[in-house]
Amino acid sequence: MCSVHDTIEFEKRGIPATVIITQAFRNAAVFQFKGKGMEGHPYVEMPHPISNLKADEMKALALKYVDQVARQLTV
Amino acid sequence: MKADGAVDEFEFFLEKAWSDGLPVVTPTEQRIQHMLAATRRDPGELVGNVPPAMEPATVRDVAIHALMAGCKPEYLPVVLGGLALMLREEFNLNGVQGTMHGVAPLMIVNGPYARKIGLHGGNGCFGPGFRANASIGRAIRLMLLNLGGGIPGVGSATIFATPLRYTACVTENGERSPWPSLAVSKGYGSEDDVITCAMVESPRLCFDDVSQEPARLLNGIADSMVAMGSWNMHARSDMVVAMGPQHASICAATGMSHADVHRRLCELAGRKVRDLKNGGNWRRERALGFPINIDPDDDDCFVPAIKDPRDLQLIVAGGWGPCTAICHGWSGGSRAVHGPYSP
Amino acid sequence: MSEEMSGFIDPTAGGGKAKVAPAARPMDLAGKVVGLLDNTKEQGALILQTIGEALRERYGAAKVVLRSKEHYSKPATDALIDEMAQEVQVAIAAVGG
Repeated sequence: MCSVHDTIEFEKRGIPATVIITQAFRNAAVFQFKGKGMEGHPYVEMPHPISNLKADEMKALALKYVDQVARQLTV
Repeated sequence: MKADGAVDEFEFFLEKAWSDGLPVVTPTEQRIQHMLAATRRDPGELVGNVPPAMEPATVRDVAIHALMAGCKPEYLPVVLGGLALMLREEFNLNGVQGTMHGVAPLMIVNGPYARKIGLHGGNGCFGPGFRANASIGRAIRLMLLNLGGGIPGVGSATIFATPLRYTACVTENGERSPWPSLAVSKGYGSEDDVITCAMVESPRLCFDDVSQEPARLLNGIADSMVAMGSWNMHARSDMVVAMGPQHASICAATGMSHADVHRRLCELAGRKVRDLKNGGNWRRERALGFPINIDPDDDDCFVPAIKDPRDLQLIVAGGWGPCTAICHGWSGGSRAVHGPYSP
Repeated sequence: MSEEMSGFIDPTAGGGKAKVAPAARPMDLAGKVVGLLDNTKEQGALILQTIGEALRERYGAAKVVLRSKEHYSKPATDALIDEMAQEVQVAIAAVGG
């Protein structure tokens, strides 16, 4: 999907990047990273679905992934 | 493998991750050259890169997939024309290859060349039995799978796909249609060879053997254009309505033109907010994102299925009988495309 | 892509993709500007804002820059990525799927 493409475009410009996906698109994301020359690129996977979560539930869930995002963007 | 160690060519291709599950015609250099004889184009010419894997499709690559699909050489120009159209940015093939939805790029081919190669628009035109329809659509799908990587569970998150993903190519029933073709309605000449592509689901059938005049008939057809669970109600989305010639003749008998029917279906097809809120994909935010003004807080506000008249592709196809076929569309920003192709 | 095998051609795609080298990562996010690319899918903006704010509070990021794409199923334009790349040192895209 296009968020993978966008992530790679940042990397090409020297900007470390990661992408947040939902579990249903894991295979597609892995496939796209591989197909676009960044096999094994990290990503952050949230459970699916998230569209029905209320705002406070979504925030609480997102906060669980902050450390993972930071690890992926730094050495 | 065969007992003597030779490769079973059918098993070889059936085991490919990109197989559509059916045997292919084995590509040999001889068959490829035979197929390429149908075009004057350079086999090395790049038609485009197929998303999301973005593998190149040269004229030779298209010929290989066309022959695997069972195409005759004279079908090759249609396959080449269809693929080129589908790679246009506004068609958004990249999005459809990965989506959870099951839409497929339906090719509607108009003009004299379609007739010459035997593309079928009459009885059974959406089903098996017609080589040009079946193999041209299949050639496209094999490329989307192999070159594009739109493989379920791999590059594609499709939940069900739909049977239209086996093959999706049709023409109109020119002999029994009371109106000029879809291409003519878009401004092309009746002798122009034109393809229109729209991202749609498999058709659902709308039967009406009661109506003898357009008002009631179109009311019923419009009902099949709306559903709580159809993305047409929750986004700007294309739709194909293939009126059976019998239904079309009921409208034409009262003097209605193709444009009249098109306009009336756009007016009729829709639901009020009150009816949409209780199931399916209704969200306030989605309604606010429509390219037309909808008040999602007004229960009596009418939400049309067709947000822009260009999104409804109205054709006349199928055999004689009291039925019209309706194909619902996608949600992710694909716009139907059309253009001429060279036989 | 095409190999001749036992007299027939195998057109299976996927050979030899040029590798893209990942960008060098900084030691930490202190003082960094974090780019947030929202693809406009539901929950995307909220996820990004939540994570962006937490990266400031917990990891010392200087600020966040939130930009939105035209449509979730299309890639961001080169112009948008170029513009963000001028301003940010790291980026997060959401939501794929």
